[in-house]
Amino acid sequence: MPDRKQGARSAAGLRSKGTEAVLNDRSGIGPGGSLNSMFEKGKHMSYKFRGGVHPKPNKELSADKPFETLLPKGEMVYPISQHIGKPARPVVKRNDEVLAGQLIAEADGFVSANIYATVSGKVKAIEHRRTSAGVPADCIVVTNDGKYNTVAGIGEECDPDTLTNSEIIDRIKMAGIVGLGGAGFPTHVKLSPRNPEEIRWIIANGAECEPGITCDDRLMRERPEWVIEGMRCVLRLFDKAKGIIAIEDNKPEAIEAIEEALEGDDRISVMTLQVRYPQGSERNLVHAATGMYMESGALPASLGCIVDNVWTLAAIYRAVCFNEPLMEKGFTVTGEGAVNPGNFLIRIGTSVSEVLEAAGGTTEDTKKILLGGPMMGMAIPGTDVPLVKANNALYCMTEDEVEIAEGQQTNCIRCGRCIRSCPLGLSPQLMLQAAERNDLDRFIALHGLDCIQCGCCTYTCPARRPLVPVFKLFKPRAMAYNRMKQQKEGNK
Amino acid sequence: MSNMLNVSSSPHLRSSHTTGREMYNVILSLLPATIFAVFHFGLYTLLVILCSIASCMATEFVFNMITHRKNSLTDCSAVVTGILLALVIPPSIPLYAPILGGVFAILVTKCFFGGLGQNFMNPALAGRAFLLISFGKVMTDYSYDTVSGATPLAQLANGETIDILDMFLGHAMGHIGVSICALLIGAVFLLVSGTITWEIPVSCIAVFLVMMGLFGGQGFDPMFLAAHFCGGGLVLGAFFMATDPVTSPMTRTGQLIYGALIGGLAALFRFYSGMADGMSYAIIISNLIVPLLDKYIIPVPWGVGAKGQVYNPDEKKKGFTVPKSALILMVITAIAGAALAGVYAMTKTTIDANQEAKKLQAYAEVVPGGETFEYDETITAAIEGFGGAVYGDGAFGKAYINEVAVAKDASGNVVGYGISATTMDGYDGEISMAVGMDTDGKILGVSFTVLNETAGMGMLVNEESWRNQFQDKQVDSFVLLKQGGSTADNEIDSVSGASTTSGAVVNAVNAAIDFYKNYLAQ
Repeated sequence: MPDRKQGARSAAGLRSKGTEAVLNDRSGIGPGGSLNSMFEKGKHMSYKFRGGVHPKPNKELSADKPFETLLPKGEMVYPISQHIGKPARPVVKRNDEVLAGQLIAEADGFVSANIYATVSGKVKAIEHRRTSAGVPADCIVVTNDGKYNTVAGIGEECDPDTLTNSEIIDRIKMAGIVGLGGAGFPTHVKLSPRNPEEIRWIIANGAECEPGITCDDRLMRERPEWVIEGMRCVLRLFDKAKGIIAIEDNKPEAIEAIEEALEGDDRISVMTLQVRYPQGSERNLVHAATGMYMESGALPASLGCIVDNVWTLAAIYRAVCFNEPLMEKGFTVTGEGAVNPGNFLIRIGTSVSEVLEAAGGTTEDTKKILLGGPMMGMAIPGTDVPLVKANNALYCMTEDEVEIAEGQQTNCIRCGRCIRSCPLGLSPQLMLQAAERNDLDRFIALHGLDCIQCGCCTYTCPARRPLVPVFKLFKPRAMAYNRMKQQKEGNK
Repeated sequence: MSNMLNVSSSPHLRSSHTTGREMYNVILSLLPATIFAVFHFGLYTLLVILCSIASCMATEFVFNMITHRKNSLTDCSAVVTGILLALVIPPSIPLYAPILGGVFAILVTKCFFGGLGQNFMNPALAGRAFLLISFGKVMTDYSYDTVSGATPLAQLANGETIDILDMFLGHAMGHIGVSICALLIGAVFLLVSGTITWEIPVSCIAVFLVMMGLFGGQGFDPMFLAAHFCGGGLVLGAFFMATDPVTSPMTRTGQLIYGALIGGLAALFRFYSGMADGMSYAIIISNLIVPLLDKYIIPVPWGVGAKGQVYNPDEKKKGFTVPKSALILMVITAIAGAALAGVYAMTKTTIDANQEAKKLQAYAEVVPGGETFEYDETITAAIEGFGGAVYGDGAFGKAYINEVAVAKDASGNVVGYGISATTMDGYDGEISMAVGMDTDGKILGVSFTVLNETAGMGMLVNEESWRNQFQDKQVDSFVLLKQGGSTADNEIDSVSGASTTSGAVVNAVNAAIDFYKNYLAQ
């Protein structure tokens, strides 16, 4: 495991040098593509997009708090489904002794991911526990012996040059890495596209457009080399690809730190994005890189892009170069309701209450605790739930904030703000009408299935219409209906 | 229980814009114009405004109570309707007008259709249209504090000179929201606070000015355009009425077309209709087209229709599709507008010829001995000398002498005169007539060329028996007897229940006699 303090110091030291050289070094991106023309126009032209909203960024609460390592004390809970795809299959039994870094559930099939113990101790049970989704799910419960004994071989340095492509992917797969930005899609699947020779851009998503969250920002400031080395590992897999690290321009320290650490690497460059929610959405980043919009329902690979969160890249680096499974990640505790907002390195499986305690607990008037940011995060019913791989923040809202957000509904006044704010160019007002009338065909015809539930329309609606909440309920039905229809057509 | 956490669906943040806040912003933005009006027109105007607001609020409250709906007064939309309605009616109007207008605006256009967000046209303008149809006289009487006269737009239409700076500041005759300056302050506030967006007002005013420049007959004369910009309800309509979210399209493209439509219609109305200003009707008509615009203009999500696209670095980035389609639709609207104007221009000669023929027929009717009608240069010059002003400095009300045709018999001797006179004092505005006189000043006959009075009442002046009261009389001036029972030559019986119309006609005939005495009698 690399020395964290060392990394932090070197990044801080590098930052004082000034940035001119790096700023000029933006020419090498894209074979004459839109990025070139974009950067030619001005030195610091940040990418903009159509739609979106401007919620208060609220980053100042925790942006200047360095990571604190948080070693869990209580029992650890590992849901066996922490990713998109099939749940993992437990490979330990009750009363088994486990070490930190020991595989406790293995991937069941290609689209699935391994799960590792993050402390040493004894398996207490494999049972139903409440998870952040609010419903009980199968979990492996481990009692923590407080010794944190680690499996031998973890942390062994390895030169990626000696590894073949399939060995790199294997290491990523073994480490159980999934998309750490929130989606939780198994990374080894993402890195095995059908058209590897057409991949031109690997985009590191450091936009962090959700209000309040700062763990990506801190990672890029404190450990820019983790992100860059992770990016280099991925670039090894795709000969023609260039690396882009996309960062919103309200994080100048992060941009500076990354640019310093790049040291003029001509295969990787920084792309600045205008502060605007949701800059960090996948479709948006692909458009920023290629100037083209992803087709409805397509994957970024169809336009030659692979998008990974910066924490995912850091995990790839540690898995490939240090043989370290995904055990730990950055986490932000923030919001008006948090007594001591801050950034922490937490071990996966720690309970929310323990992390909250570390952050000084919550104020008395805390009325809502969100797992994730306030735009897309999930309100949790209680703090006795474990943190999983894809979680990145706890956002505590006070009573006043909740009251403002849950204000009085009126009739739709047809102002069209939802349509203007949709980053996909959808028509949320019409989609809501269709959903309220239970008109599945109309909802699908309006491309309602493309909705990414970013929340812009709902944020901006003066009448406080429940747009996204309704879409969330209606989309699965529309999807099932769509599949049924397609099957029927297939049968004919 | 109090320490339990709230659970809800994301997003957990909302912007500070709420429906109530939007309405509140509109009220704030209307304050400068309202306050100016009270200072300019006097305290009675404040009473008019308050009556309008109270009427709107009370109507909504009572309707909600009777139909067991949730009280919706807190969203302030009734207050907005009340203020807007007050701003588009004359300052000294009797109080029953704003009260009835408010009831109609809220009850019929809004509550009956489902309340906030469901009205199919702007409630305030619907209220105004209702008042204009029901109480035409009081709605077009802009006098206040014993000051009376024509509105700047009417003056402009009559070719009088007007002071544009006064119009801009609001020192003019007109409805309560007369100060363009105060309105623009409010408009800037609306734009800056994000309550409205630029699309509708900009496309509306731009198209309006371009149409005025192209078809107004005076080219792009800045003073002419400025006068039309400041006159009437253009600014009030473009920034405060047309932008009402409920009755305007939701998409940007739709808004551009909608704004252009209003601007185009308003310009057409100013030139080719009997009304001095048609802004309110332009908006109402466009309101009715909004559902169509919203039905057919649904934005295409980014990337839809891009099936199978593979990134090609050599291919240049394509332009935005939405502004392009907006541009195309703008062009279509402009072409449609141009076509309308073109048709008008082409048919104008025919129309003019028809009107000329109608006039000649009227002259022939009122001067029975006349074979040919000619215009005499001296007389025409004398009329032009008035500069389109009211004849006789208001001694005959708003009466105008338009032209005089000299009637000659077959051998070329002058047998009389056909005098075309117009009065604006009719119950419904303009009444035009031809007055026939022999060379001694004896009335030969009266015939109407324009008469739009109330059927069964004012229209009765056209009855031959009534018109014949003037015939073959040679007097200095006629006097109207409202109770009837005339005995003397110069007494005319009023049409029962239509003394306004009768009086206007008598005044116009008196103007013609006066003109004869001053200019025609040898």
